[in-house]
Amino acid sequence: MRLATRCSPLLFALACALPLPVFADASPAQRAMAAAEASLARQPGAEGLAALALAHARRARETADTDHYLGAMALLDQAENLAPGNALVARNRIWVLLGQHEFARAQEAASALHRRHPDDLMVLAMLTDARIELGRYAEAENSAQWLLDMRPGNIPGLTRAAYLREIFGDPEGALELMAEALRRTRDGETEDRAWLMTQMSHLSLSLGRLPAAARLADEALAAFPGYHYALAQKARVLAARGDAFGAATLLETHVAAAPHPENYYYLGEALARAGRTAAARAAYAEFEARAVAESLGWDNANRELVYYYADVAGKPAEALAVAEREIARRRDVATLQAWAWALHRNGRQNEAWAAMEEALAVGSREPELLRRAGLIARAAGKVEPAGRLLGEARRLAPWLGDGDTPGV
Amino acid sequence: MQRNLLSLALALAFAAPAHAANHREAPITALDHKADITDVYAFRSYDGDPTPRVTLILGVDPLLEPANGPNWFPFDPDILYELKVDNNHDAKPDLAFQFRFSTEQRLAGLFQVFAGVEGGASAPANAPPLADGTPTAGSPIVPDRIVGFDSPGLGQLQHYTVTLVRYNADGSVKSRQLLGTDLPAVPANVGPRTMDYGSLFNAGIQSLNGGVKAFAGTTDDAFWIDLGGAFDTFNTHVFPVLSAEQDAAAANIAPDTVAGYAVNSIAIEVPVAWLTETGKVEGADSPAATIGVWGATSRPRTTVRRSPEPATSTGPWRQVQRMGNPLINELIIGTGSKDRFSMDLPSNDAQFTGFFLDPALPRVINALTGGAVAIPAPPRLDLLPLVTYAAPIAAAGTPAGPVADLLRLNTGVAPTDPAQASRLGLLGGDPAGFPNGRRVFDDVTDIALRVAVGGVLAAPFEGYNPDINGRLGDGVNVNDQPYRLGFPYLADAPSGRDRRHLDPGEPGCTAGGGNDCPK
Repeated sequence: MRLATRCSPLLFALACALPLPVFADASPAQRAMAAAEASLARQPGAEGLAALALAHARRARETADTDHYLGAMALLDQAENLAPGNALVARNRIWVLLGQHEFARAQEAASALHRRHPDDLMVLAMLTDARIELGRYAEAENSAQWLLDMRPGNIPGLTRAAYLREIFGDPEGALELMAEALRRTRDGETEDRAWLMTQMSHLSLSLGRLPAAARLADEALAAFPGYHYALAQKARVLAARGDAFGAATLLETHVAAAPHPENYYYLGEALARAGRTAAARAAYAEFEARAVAESLGWDNANRELVYYYADVAGKPAEALAVAEREIARRRDVATLQAWAWALHRNGRQNEAWAAMEEALAVGSREPELLRRAGLIARAAGKVEPAGRLLGEARRLAPWLGDGDTPGV
Repeated sequence: MQRNLLSLALALAFAAPAHAANHREAPITALDHKADITDVYAFRSYDGDPTPRVTLILGVDPLLEPANGPNWFPFDPDILYELKVDNNHDAKPDLAFQFRFSTEQRLAGLFQVFAGVEGGASAPANAPPLADGTPTAGSPIVPDRIVGFDSPGLGQLQHYTVTLVRYNADGSVKSRQLLGTDLPAVPANVGPRTMDYGSLFNAGIQSLNGGVKAFAGTTDDAFWIDLGGAFDTFNTHVFPVLSAEQDAAAANIAPDTVAGYAVNSIAIEVPVAWLTETGKVEGADSPAATIGVWGATSRPRTTVRRSPEPATSTGPWRQVQRMGNPLINELIIGTGSKDRFSMDLPSNDAQFTGFFLDPALPRVINALTGGAVAIPAPPRLDLLPLVTYAAPIAAAGTPAGPVADLLRLNTGVAPTDPAQASRLGLLGGDPAGFPNGRRVFDDVTDIALRVAVGGVLAAPFEGYNPDINGRLGDGVNVNDQPYRLGFPYLADAPSGRDRRHLDPGEPGCTAGGGNDCPK
């Protein structure tokens, strides 16, 4: 069936309304793929290929199937051959690079394209993403502010600013912006809406608001059934409620939907908490094999691998080796936290505290960060910060506990 | 924490940018009419008073249809309107005149914000009573004709403050001086029955301490152009090369698309000595004589970090638009950079050097005329006087400063008597006209076209033809309405009842004369 589309090839497919009754139950990415393929059939060319690549990248986010990124990259290479230097091709390539966690390359490409097209909001948004991931927060704040200023209320700007607010220690303010983004997202954008609700659930949980976190996770799953991010978030809510068994069961579904290495780690954790020791061991073994296999690349599960070696496998030296490799690449809060933890497990408490102080200086009040920071402070003999940080973590997320014993 | 969790890419909830209207030069301003700057003027006051003064005018809110009641065109209290001045050639503001507005609604019971009739109108004998039986005969229904700011029919009254801010070299505020407060803004010209607009206009000219005058209100749009022709891919209604006779005429041979429309204007006149770095009136040959002027509009912003005092009303601000020279963003800056240009600071304009020194406009003219209009090769160093401090505007020895879109004014050049002035400004041998500052009657369209195709600000180049390059024009040579010859130098807003716009083929009104003038 020939597909009617109001999409301009110059626009991201996801911004276009696609009245496709035949695909009534198709996801936004599937609709975009169908539209891009139909458009390519009518008019082959670089821009059609770029639109199809973007649709694949969206599908990768919807399904957690990273093969879509490989397909997208191949399409973009084809497009680049047809139209060297095409801005749309360059823009969509940055999207895919971000999806593949090639943050340094994404930042470089986004900076170059931003200089050529300073008014392109998506390029600015992706530049912000790359800077956040690399821990270049001042630059990220600057580009996010430009985003907000250029089109007050634009959704890419709101979500980036929300994420930065969270990192800067203002989850309440982040929630405000995510809610604003949700109000502005059309109903048909089911995956976008589910993603936003998942983020709001996560923020609510970090504020200790369990009922709101549970409701939002359920709403996300209702908006986009089986959504892998929402499954994982709901599992975290269940775990926070003390339903370790329920959390583990849900994460089994999650890992089947999104079989990435790090997801096996979280499954192993949940199974261990649920007392399903044999299953936990199996999940951890699967995790280690998969995570080690991709540890040298950018798209890796190295932070989880650090925690696994440090806390589960009893291999602190390996944990530190992985952490040092990762911190050489990026100095974001999560990587600093993992590095500090590896140092801590290796008995290098002063260095661990220094790394943790660098992470805390960014401002985040994420309970798990505070908990680990408190434990490191205690080990380093920093009595006052230890008490304060552990107290705050306990207040926000009493379900985390403050044990510091490695091993399952 | 999770793979791809941070691939934040979400739907772009806005439509494709459009770039097709004068005064809406960037997508951001096309979406924010109230903050859209139409024109910036800066000139030595030419009212005949020998005290050297400079008048600065900021036009906002373009193409206002004068009949468009019942609310007409209030200034936006949410916008910070600014006229900024650089006097030490670094393209950063050394002083700024800031304008903020407030709105008072006084006719809550009536359906339009301005109403009046000579003598007022009361309920006649046969007027029905109120629902509760109260008789109404003889009670006032329509207020008296509006003749001043105290008239009760002026149901929507705006007041404004003017603040002079001076800055230190590092950009921090050195001083804030309130020049005027509670100054009334002149409303739209609703029509002759409702109001004596002329009286309101005159009452709106405010004399402040220190020889300063201020004005804010709805006025005639002082700009004139064959706008529709220009933006139909330069399909002007007359061939863009004027004959010598057409070029010399103080009359229009093509329709002024802006005729019959109003605009909101903010004007201030200050002694020259307030503006120069030395605090003195400098001679035209002094490097300290030349200043750079630009206008800006800003709105409160949502910040990435929440303010600890979210209720404060003094910022932070996000700039929506700025303008120095006319037509730069409209005709020079590429479509992928127009928002950035609007929102960035002039001191960061080096990023746009490519557009300034190899603009697309002359290439378009060159192509559309099949090469009849020859143009020089880039880099277009002849355009530098528009974007740096350079001759023939600035005196020898003036630091060029960074590339920046500022309207440069040599305050040492005496004003030209309007009777002797040329609409072509510097190009017409009139040293007090654009691009040395800009007066309301400078024909910036024709000047900009001729400057753009080269050979007029610098020595002619190979292929330059004074009868072609030197005579480009849109055939609209004068404003439809006569300008005032004193502050604020602007013409009356057209009357909502009797305004007249022009269709193709109508040369229209010439400075208030001719067959097509509104009553």
